[in-house]
Amino acid sequence: MARAETKDEKYLVVDHLIKWFGSDRAVDDVSFSIEKGKFLTLLGPSGCGKTTTLMSIAGLHTIDSGEIRVGDVIYTSKEKKIFLAPEKRDIGMVFQSYAIWPHMTVAQNVAYPLEIRKIERVEIDERVDKVLALVGLTEMSDKLATQLSGGQQQRASLARAIVSNPLLLLFDEPLSNLDLKLREQMRVELKRIQNEVGITSIYVTHDQSEALVMSDEIIVMSKGQIEQRDIPLSVYSKPANGYVSQFIGVANLIEGTLAKKNKSGTGVADLNKTIKGLTCDCVLSSELESGDDVLVSIRPENISVSKKNTGGKGIKGKVDLAIFLGNCVDCRISSDGFEWKVLSHPRENLQQGDSVFLHLDPKHTLAVTP
Amino acid sequence: MADTLAPVQPDSTWRRFFTQENVVTIVVGFIVAVAVILPLVVLLVSSFLVLDDMGFDSEWGFDNYVTLFTDRIIPKAMLNSLYVSSGTCLVSTVLGVSLAWINARTNSPGRDSIEPYNLIPFFLSPFVGAIAWHNLASPKVGLLNVWYRDLFGLDGEQYLLNVDTLWGVIWVTGIFFTPLVYLFVVGSLRRMDPSLEDSARTTGAGLLRTTLTITLPLVTPAILSGAIIVFVTSAGEFGVPFKLAAPYGWETLTTQIFTKAVGDDANHYMGATMSMVLGIITVLLIWVQRAYIAPRSYTTVTGKGFRPNVLDLGRWKWVAFGFNILYILVAVILPILCLAVVSLHPVWTAEIVPSDMSMNNYVKTLFWWEEDSIRAATDGIINSFILAFSGASIAMVLALVVSYMIHRTRGFGAKLLDFLCVIPIGFPGIVLAMGVLVTYIKTPIYATLWILLLGYITRFFPYGQRNIASIMLAISEELDQSSRMAGATWFTTLRRITIPLLKPGIFAGWVLLFVIFLRELSISIILYSTGTETLSVGVYYLANFENEALTSALSMTQTVVLLICIFIFRRVAGKEALTA
Ligand SMILES: Nc1ncnc2c1ncn2[C@@H]1O[C@H](COP(=O)(O)OP(=O)(O)OP(=O)(O)O)[C@@H](O)[C@H]1O
Ligand SMILES: [Mg+2]
Repeated sequence: MARAETKDEKYLVVDHLIKWFGSDRAVDDVSFSIEKGKFLTLLGPSGCGKTTTLMSIAGLHTIDSGEIRVGDVIYTSKEKKIFLAPEKRDIGMVFQSYAIWPHMTVAQNVAYPLEIRKIERVEIDERVDKVLALVGLTEMSDKLATQLSGGQQQRASLARAIVSNPLLLLFDEPLSNLDLKLREQMRVELKRIQNEVGITSIYVTHDQSEALVMSDEIIVMSKGQIEQRDIPLSVYSKPANGYVSQFIGVANLIEGTLAKKNKSGTGVADLNKTIKGLTCDCVLSSELESGDDVLVSIRPENISVSKKNTGGKGIKGKVDLAIFLGNCVDCRISSDGFEWKVLSHPRENLQQGDSVFLHLDPKHTLAVTP
Repeated sequence: MADTLAPVQPDSTWRRFFTQENVVTIVVGFIVAVAVILPLVVLLVSSFLVLDDMGFDSEWGFDNYVTLFTDRIIPKAMLNSLYVSSGTCLVSTVLGVSLAWINARTNSPGRDSIEPYNLIPFFLSPFVGAIAWHNLASPKVGLLNVWYRDLFGLDGEQYLLNVDTLWGVIWVTGIFFTPLVYLFVVGSLRRMDPSLEDSARTTGAGLLRTTLTITLPLVTPAILSGAIIVFVTSAGEFGVPFKLAAPYGWETLTTQIFTKAVGDDANHYMGATMSMVLGIITVLLIWVQRAYIAPRSYTTVTGKGFRPNVLDLGRWKWVAFGFNILYILVAVILPILCLAVVSLHPVWTAEIVPSDMSMNNYVKTLFWWEEDSIRAATDGIINSFILAFSGASIAMVLALVVSYMIHRTRGFGAKLLDFLCVIPIGFPGIVLAMGVLVTYIKTPIYATLWILLLGYITRFFPYGQRNIASIMLAISEELDQSSRMAGATWFTTLRRITIPLLKPGIFAGWVLLFVIFLRELSISIILYSTGTETLSVGVYYLANFENEALTSALSMTQTVVLLICIFIFRRVAGKEALTA
């Protein structure tokens, strides 16, 4: 039977997906695709529709418009009036609460998907052992779920999701119930296991560092729509718009207009609106025309501060707050009513009340659509 | 390469609609909706049917409603019901709140071992309680009055207590419904964040002041909820006024409904009209409780894990202890002992004669092959067990599916079902039974056990539903969903994941319904006929046509069975099952 044996590009396709809850559009015309074996993250603030998108793929609710397919298997299509029951989609899913069944042992939990598939007992035992070894739970196999720690439940849940070699792996904020240390450890672990089994994965989180560390690609969502889709480095260094640059990491965002556009994708932004008399050279993140309103986004680590005005083009400011963080100093510097967030080197020895000059680096000064 | 599940075949919309989940839930939802709504609609309609003088024809009109106020007896009966409900409400609230406070917040001795006994009356039959108290405190043959006369050498006309009055009704229903208030209040007191009181103390408020200005206002919603439930439950109570008031000239609404349903001057339409009155009052009060009072119960929001403040009563703790023991004495021990003693005598002459004692009454009531056995009693026992067993089982299946619809599927009809589950909870059994009677009287199920089963399940399945729902809400929906994702169908998920997880709730609900059905009187008394008597109807039959001793024997049998069930219930449901 032919299934999912397709060209590598566009393994999972989500096409113009719309989902209403009452009068809210929880997912508003979302389209994306993902290549086989890749790890894609849906990143966005609470309530932006990540879970709803994931549930639509899983078939745990119906959709109001659009189509979802994996290879040539259509999961859901509103136009073609197709809806594949969730249990027929062959998806492994790891839930936020882990959802380890408390009335079964770890091994029974993991064996369940194989039992449903009517695989022979001998093979089940073999495969359960193998996958438990992979996630490092061999010793725990006869424990009840209630006797496991959070991290162990997490692993058991992962084992159960991958044991049947599903077409897709879905993760809904699987690490959010763990404490910080364990979370950081599990990120790496999860990524390692996913690499090893090579199952195409979609991962939902609102934690940007998780997304940056684990993903092959990131989709940033807000209010049910896609803001940007890119590799982690680009999402961080070339945010498509003000929303993304604010959501990922910390950025100084200054409102202005594009005064001049050069051919090479650079330009000059006029920030007079916000800080009197300030213009700056910048890189344009997308198709912008001169005269457009823009947001200029500058990461705190890309601003240099000094007490001397080297080159004479520095922006004058006063240090309101300087917090020593060890390897750097987190400063708030006010200039003409605007508060800059700057990370300065400890050797500059900035103190509260100092007068300083800020220097922007045109290569790391980004003009984005507001 | 993935392991293949079933061959992948996209479902068409048409086939998609007929999933296991949709078919089962829609069918069950429909059955429940019809079972609850139909009798109420027919009841409403029949209340406008006026029977002519000959009792053959009927026509539409408001005459029945006019009769409510012009009749010789009914207006008085309504007033009496009001007295009884108010009085019961007062007795139960005072007792329930005091006992709850003693057990939740003071260092009264032996609280942990005493507390469970406070709940026993909740499971027993108030009708049997009335029979027992009649034997204890009726003017002539009441044991307490006999002892009183012996003690002071008084003649046969003098007495200390008289329960054969409206006061007697209030007393018996009051002590039997005390656990209702107790349960509401004790939970609220236990869950209260002690820092609320501590912070009042730190501002300089004394103990009494803190209790009055902080503690009491915080539990007021719980007290009011309990009081309203007691008010409506006692308004719908049939057995106690039937035993203690009606024979002595005090009719109540329920005894009048009964007369109109089965008596010599039976007039079902008039019975329906009186049921409407009772039903409407009940629905209004329950609505007030749910809409205005329950949402205001602040204390339940704060969650668990607190150790409530315990008050050191000093020497007064013995008073508190004595008070609690006294309650258990009058509500549980005295009535049961009295039943036991009376049941051992061939006939009860208000005198304990050890040499006359035998088990003969039990033989007569329990074994129908004996020559002088009483069929209604033995049949009643068998029928009640059949009804309780099958009723509890069917009701729990319905409860499971309905809970699933309300808390999992949530789609089409879930809101309506949730609402339908609320209606019967507060509804007096006798009212629902009138509805069932007028609806099905011309169908083949009339005069069979089926009609009783239908009445029982309709009225009480929400109790089981609550048992399941509380657990279902506590376990994550993701447990079900992950089974679907693992490839299991809806039905397999239900069988292998959902039901095993809900097992404690299902079993506790089953036992609770079993108990309720074994002692049920208000519905049975309206719907039974010869051959379909139930245990409580058997007791009624004996009380009406045989002697006190036989009645006590059957009452005692029922009580013992119920006590065993309570024991099992506590075993499976755990200590916290009711008080949590
Ligand atoms: N079952 C539902 N019924 C009604 N509205 C819903 C339902 N599920 C989600 N919503 C709404 O849809 C929107 C998107 O919800 P969704 O759960 O997809 O957010 P999310 O991005 O996963 O957020 P979080 O990070 O908090 O999990 C929200 O506004 C939410 O209120
Ligand atoms: Mg979510």
